Amino acid sequence: MKSEGLKFFTDTHLTAMGLLIFFLFFVGVLIWVYRKHSSEIYAHMEQIPLKDGE
Amino acid sequence: MNTSGNLIEKIYYDDDIVKKFVLATLIWAGAAFLFGLIAALQLAYWPMNANLEWITFGRLRPLHTNAAIFAFAGNAIFAGIYHSSQRLLKTRMFSDVLSKMHFWGWQLIILSAAITLPLGYTQSKEYAELEWPIDIAITVVWVIFAINFFMTLRQRREKHMYVAIWFYIATIITVAVLHIVNSIEIPVTFLQSYPVYAGIQDALVQWWYGHNAVAFFLTTPFLGLMYYYVPKAANRPVYSYRLSIIHFWALVFIYIWAGPHHLLYTSLPEWAQTLGMIFSIMLWAPSWGGMINGLLTLKGSWHLLRTEPLIKFFVAALTFYGMSTFEGPLLSIKSISAVGHYTDWIVGHVHSGALGWNGFLTFGMVYYLVPRLWRTELYSKKLLENHFWIGLTGVLLYYTSMVVAGITQGLMWLAVGEDGTLVYPDFIETVVRIVPLYWVRALGGFLFIVGFVMMCYNIYKTIKLAPKEQHDSYIEVSRSGYDELTKGHRKLEGMGAVFSVLAFLAIAVGSVIEIYPTLSLHRYVNPNNIVDPYSPLELAGRDIYIKEGCYVCHSQQIRPIASEVMRYGAASTVEESMYDRPFQWGSKRTGPDLSRLGKKYPNLWHYSHMLDPRAVTPKSIMPNYPWLADKKTDFLVLRKKLSVMKQLDVPYADDVVANADIYAQKQAKEIAADLESNGAPKGLEDKEIVALIAYLQSLGQKGKAQ
Repeated sequence: MKSEGLKFFTDTHLTAMGLLIFFLFFVGVLIWVYRKHSSEIYAHMEQIPLKDGE
Repeated sequence: MNTSGNLIEKIYYDDDIVKKFVLATLIWAGAAFLFGLIAALQLAYWPMNANLEWITFGRLRPLHTNAAIFAFAGNAIFAGIYHSSQRLLKTRMFSDVLSKMHFWGWQLIILSAAITLPLGYTQSKEYAELEWPIDIAITVVWVIFAINFFMTLRQRREKHMYVAIWFYIATIITVAVLHIVNSIEIPVTFLQSYPVYAGIQDALVQWWYGHNAVAFFLTTPFLGLMYYYVPKAANRPVYSYRLSIIHFWALVFIYIWAGPHHLLYTSLPEWAQTLGMIFSIMLWAPSWGGMINGLLTLKGSWHLLRTEPLIKFFVAALTFYGMSTFEGPLLSIKSISAVGHYTDWIVGHVHSGALGWNGFLTFGMVYYLVPRLWRTELYSKKLLENHFWIGLTGVLLYYTSMVVAGITQGLMWLAVGEDGTLVYPDFIETVVRIVPLYWVRALGGFLFIVGFVMMCYNIYKTIKLAPKEQHDSYIEVSRSGYDELTKGHRKLEGMGAVFSVLAFLAIAVGSVIEIYPTLSLHRYVNPNNIVDPYSPLELAGRDIYIKEGCYVCHSQQIRPIASEVMRYGAASTVEESMYDRPFQWGSKRTGPDLSRLGKKYPNLWHYSHMLDPRAVTPKSIMPNYPWLADKKTDFLVLRKKLSVMKQLDVPYADDVVANADIYAQKQAKEIAADLESNGAPKGLEDKEIVALIAYLQSLGQKGKAQ
């Protein structure tokens, strides 16, 4: 009976695709975050809490 | 108008609401810690239960957890969010009225919890015990908070949302989703309801909620506070803004999947367990991203630990966060869960997070905030130092004692001798062995409280010595970031609504993939042919079992582990609990598992056991339940209860629903007669003890002949 319920997620193509999508998305974020010319803006962002005049 | 970069505006921040939340944090912290200490002492020394139903461990423990999470941590979160958001967004909160409604609404919710939980009104779902009217109140107050926060976001003068704000957004959205989905229930009476989910479905939804209460109530908001207050206290920017972006998205996306690690080796389908385990292990990375980012913010200024002692609290909090988030994934590995699950190891793990991470971060934040809010100096840095070291000693004693107790007991349960039998067949042996460690835990908790009392005195003196005239002062700000051409994530950081939608999508993926298939499980599993529903009296008894918080110390889920099957019987199946609303799998075994308890002992054994556990199990640490022999069972409400169950597809015949009270009284008479003939007092048929015995005798006995 339980094995019937396990019929979900036995599609390895689907799960492999999910893994690939998540991983590539993560790599994309990494590339985007570390691309050139972004240091300037990060330098501004990290100063926000320190520039609230208090 | 977005090109007014040079316009200087005067802003009056609303610090009054922050003060209110800070003071509420301290008041409720005292309550939460005290309840915790009493509960710890009850486990070490059972007479501390005092034969009083309202403070018996089964009812006190949920009161302690709710007070710690929602009253202490909750108020701390709100204090920090209201204080830091105004400054990060360069604007006053959107509405003072909404702020006040949020504050007083939340305190009323806490108060209602403090009244209803000791009275036994509970849904028995951990951290979601509060009954349906309070659930609705929580939703309303949370929406008030959300409106206030998002409208403040809308009228901000700093276009870029600093990383702390992202964490607040994720918190507000996800807590709303979790609370609403896990609280879908059908009211039976004014203070009782049954969840729409049953058995395995209830278990999965509950632990998706329970685990993510840890994620989005005790982690993300506190990380947001960390990202603001650690740089402020150290007067240095965060170590790596890039890392904060990566770890934020990774954390909110991955955390939501990990709920099933609370249900490893249960009858939850294998795929869900595996998903939960894998994502829990992955979660280690973004969690440590947060810890590294916090700790390395102090790079180059570690001397502050000497000159600014409140930094000690932040450093210790981040260290505990790192340890807890290493231990969490570790415990999520199935083979390690086999040892740790149901033991005090989990209790130790939770408290290294709660006391070390949430507690210390809050203390650091309060020490930072109070002198600034009241425009004065902290009364005594020496007291702060002492608080830190005494508190730290307390947490370490708590943690080490519980890990040792947990691993000891876990291994004793698993121990099988060369002859193939259990080395410790008597459960009580494994309890007696760790009772000394319960005393150590209580000592740890006591030391933590001693430190906290020092803090209260320090804060009291600080406020008392503050200038009496507290004028509202303004701050001059100019709009910034509105004249830039931006792309990508930067653009996203300037778009509150879109950012919020994406954060919601990040948590929706894992939620849907795990919950949807589980909720469709009934297509594959038909309990109808396998088990019978509870009789009316058994259902009444089950609700008494829930009311007394028996699930706090007894599980009803046998794992497919050899030693466990030998000790309790065949491993639990999906079908067995498909009519269980709410599910009662439990997450801690202070006493043995009860899923196959039925017919194991005569009725009189149960009667004696409930009135004085030591009469049948010498050295038992279970409380006495004398009131069960005095209080009457409400038979009439059973018609309503069964009709709600029938509405939820439990196969009761119309006749049984219509005459539920009569059926129940008939069964109660039989049990009472049996008790009487064996020497128990007369006239028990309408007492709660009989209904409870009926339920206990039905456990594991509802299977149909195949």
